[in-house]
Amino acid sequence: MSWIFTKGSKTFKPKRNIPEGTKQYQLKKYAEATLGSGNLRLAVTLPEGEDLNEWVAVNTVDFFNQINMLYGTITEFCTAEECPVMSAGPKYEYHWADGQNVKKPIKCSAPEYIDFLMTWVQGQLDDETIFPSKIGVPFPKSFQATAKNILKRLFRVYAHIYHSHFNKIVSLGEEAHLNTSFKHFIFFVQEFNLIEKKELAPLAELISQLTNKE
Amino acid sequence: NVPVPARILEKASVVKFYIEQHFENLMKACYERNKRRDQLEIEMAKMDLTDVQKTQLRRILRMKESEYIRLKRVKLDKSMFTTV
Ligand SMILES: [Zn+2]
Repeated sequence: MSWIFTKGSKTFKPKRNIPEGTKQYQLKKYAEATLGSGNLRLAVTLPEGEDLNEWVAVNTVDFFNQINMLYGTITEFCTAEECPVMSAGPKYEYHWADGQNVKKPIKCSAPEYIDFLMTWVQGQLDDETIFPSKIGVPFPKSFQATAKNILKRLFRVYAHIYHSHFNKIVSLGEEAHLNTSFKHFIFFVQEFNLIEKKELAPLAELISQLTNKE
Repeated sequence: NVPVPARILEKASVVKFYIEQHFENLMKACYERNKRRDQLEIEMAKMDLTDVQKTQLRRILRMKESEYIRLKRVKLDKSMFTTV
């Protein structure tokens, strides 16, 4: 299936003003690899006359699917031995609680945490009273709050992948895909103020790198 | 550095293809939605319509667009990924 590989690499644009071979150069190089996918800033804006809840819902499902797939390719490397705690770099550690069934945070490994998290999100997305799929059924009043909570948690999976498994992402040639997915995610949550800035701290540097060029 | 098993590379190539398609479709959808909106204005300008009728037609198009993105909200469940 070599035809699959031909597209992503075309848009690989390393920055010139940093000496090659330095660690900073490597990070810069990979952070700038994105799919040549057009104007993402434009793609996140609410279409004229569209219901904000509908727009947040369809995008949230898309982000969930992408994270699920991307994480799915590195699950064999994200093990309880490799990642005994769910972290996003040395400064950020997460303990699982969903606020409903699990009130007291559980300290668990990253794969366990991500399994809890994705299962929880899937449950929310499948709940017809939260994400109505039938035409004409309105969203609940609490929809924005629920969506914010989902997006806040999905961010942690991106953060863990970037901090603990980015080298594997690169060896799978997925850096442009991950960056594009994450960039879309960030543009989206910024556009509608869906995640608090302090929650985004583990990837603050990458976020400014990905976003300040547009 | 241990080489990545072929099985995982294969899985990654499917995921990459899906994501590439997704972003291509995303841009296309954005462009086409604007085109439909502009097209309606062009068509309406050719017809002898009252402002009320125009507003109504715009509302119908928006409703259709909204229904369309609701139907697009396919939830892929986990079992679909394990088969990849
Ligand atoms: Zn891990």
